[in-house]
Amino acid sequence: MIKFLIKIIFFYYREYKLNLSGFQDILTNIIFFFVSIFIFIFSIGPDKDTISVVGVGILWTLLLLSSTLSLRKFYQDDFENGNLVIMHLNGFSFGFIAILKTLSNFLFVQIPFLLSIPIACILLNIANDKIIYLITSFGISSFILSCLGSISSSMNLMNQRNFLLGSLIVMVFSIPIIIFSVGIINMEESFNSLINILFGILLIVFAINPWASGLCLKLSLENK
Amino acid sequence: MKFLVNPAKFNEVTDYIFKPVLILSVLLFALGLLFSFYLSPDDYQQGSTVRIMYVHVPSAWLALLTYATMTLYSILALAFRIPFGFIFNTAVAPIGAVFTLICIISGSLWGKPMWGTWWVWDARLTSVAILFIIYLIIMFMNLSFENRIVREKVVAVFILVGSVNLPIVKFSVDWWNTLHQPATISKLSKPSIDPSMMIPLIIMTFAFMMIGLAIAILRIKTEIISRKTNLS
Repeated sequence: MIKFLIKIIFFYYREYKLNLSGFQDILTNIIFFFVSIFIFIFSIGPDKDTISVVGVGILWTLLLLSSTLSLRKFYQDDFENGNLVIMHLNGFSFGFIAILKTLSNFLFVQIPFLLSIPIACILLNIANDKIIYLITSFGISSFILSCLGSISSSMNLMNQRNFLLGSLIVMVFSIPIIIFSVGIINMEESFNSLINILFGILLIVFAINPWASGLCLKLSLENK
Repeated sequence: MKFLVNPAKFNEVTDYIFKPVLILSVLLFALGLLFSFYLSPDDYQQGSTVRIMYVHVPSAWLALLTYATMTLYSILALAFRIPFGFIFNTAVAPIGAVFTLICIISGSLWGKPMWGTWWVWDARLTSVAILFIIYLIIMFMNLSFENRIVREKVVAVFILVGSVNLPIVKFSVDWWNTLHQPATISKLSKPSIDPSMMIPLIIMTFAFMMIGLAIAILRIKTEIISRKTNLS
């Protein structure tokens, strides 16, 4: 049991090292996010009232787009250099690897976005008291996005031609998340019920994730 | 019922039923079009545009039915290791996509005179559009993998995950306030449609079903042959 825990700790230590050495990738994602906010504002026009009406929608669209940018690296590196096999030989089942990788994606890719939301809110002229709602809803839904990203990127491991398909899958399934998360900000009185719906979606996706990604990982490794 | 899961039996049985199905579909189409253009009455509110219903509703039903059958075959293929399910999924996805496209186009042609707009961002309309995108993704996935074994299983998993959209399409008119009307026929109580409009609708549904079945038989046979010769 303790050996297993040590293995998990070393897994996260390795992920931390990998993400630290590739920190400019995450930074590039965040800069992409901010530059696209600028472009949106230039294309709409700098009118304060318009921006504060459509601001939340813009924020969500861009967060989704920029978090799907790094999907290609979710399993691909470990798949190609054989680390997935080594993890499996060390006693991790494929479903468990999927859970660990999802958590690490949430920690190292989505949390930086969470930290950059307040700055984006200032840029987009969103009211201060709404920021806390925004951060709560994004905290839940980014975890859902990590799970969906795990499913879609494990599906596309053997796909050598059409890389955009993975992002397409995540974007199709994230439509309900966007509906409910934007609903949270616009209707403050029904905050609790919408948060509960988001939690429900999170639990469903989190239950499907190990099964689907584990199956796809196993298939891809068998037919590599 | 073994021909539903066994390729050799399927070939055997469909050799017999293919021509009858095709002839039946032509007859039903002739009868259904006759009924829907000449023998059914105009609506008191909508006038003659109500006749779009005889194309719109059957294609929508069949789009949902095709996806439901694909889900069923994915479960069979993944859980009981029946490879015919993979053949079925590959062959039938474009048919469902075409039915969904017919449904969307005829619906927007109907919406322009009745609602005054081609498209609204309504729950029913949006969820059907998502169904169409899911069909397209299935077709793209079938084209973009090189390894066949991985491809068919991944597509089956994707179909299972995407089947959450089906109840959303069905119940969207009950759960949200939509511009689209709620279910008239496929509900538990008595259908609230007049028999003079119900009869052509049912005939057209069977006609669509038969033509879909005939194309599906052809496509499944082609798929079986191409697998035998290792073309895909």
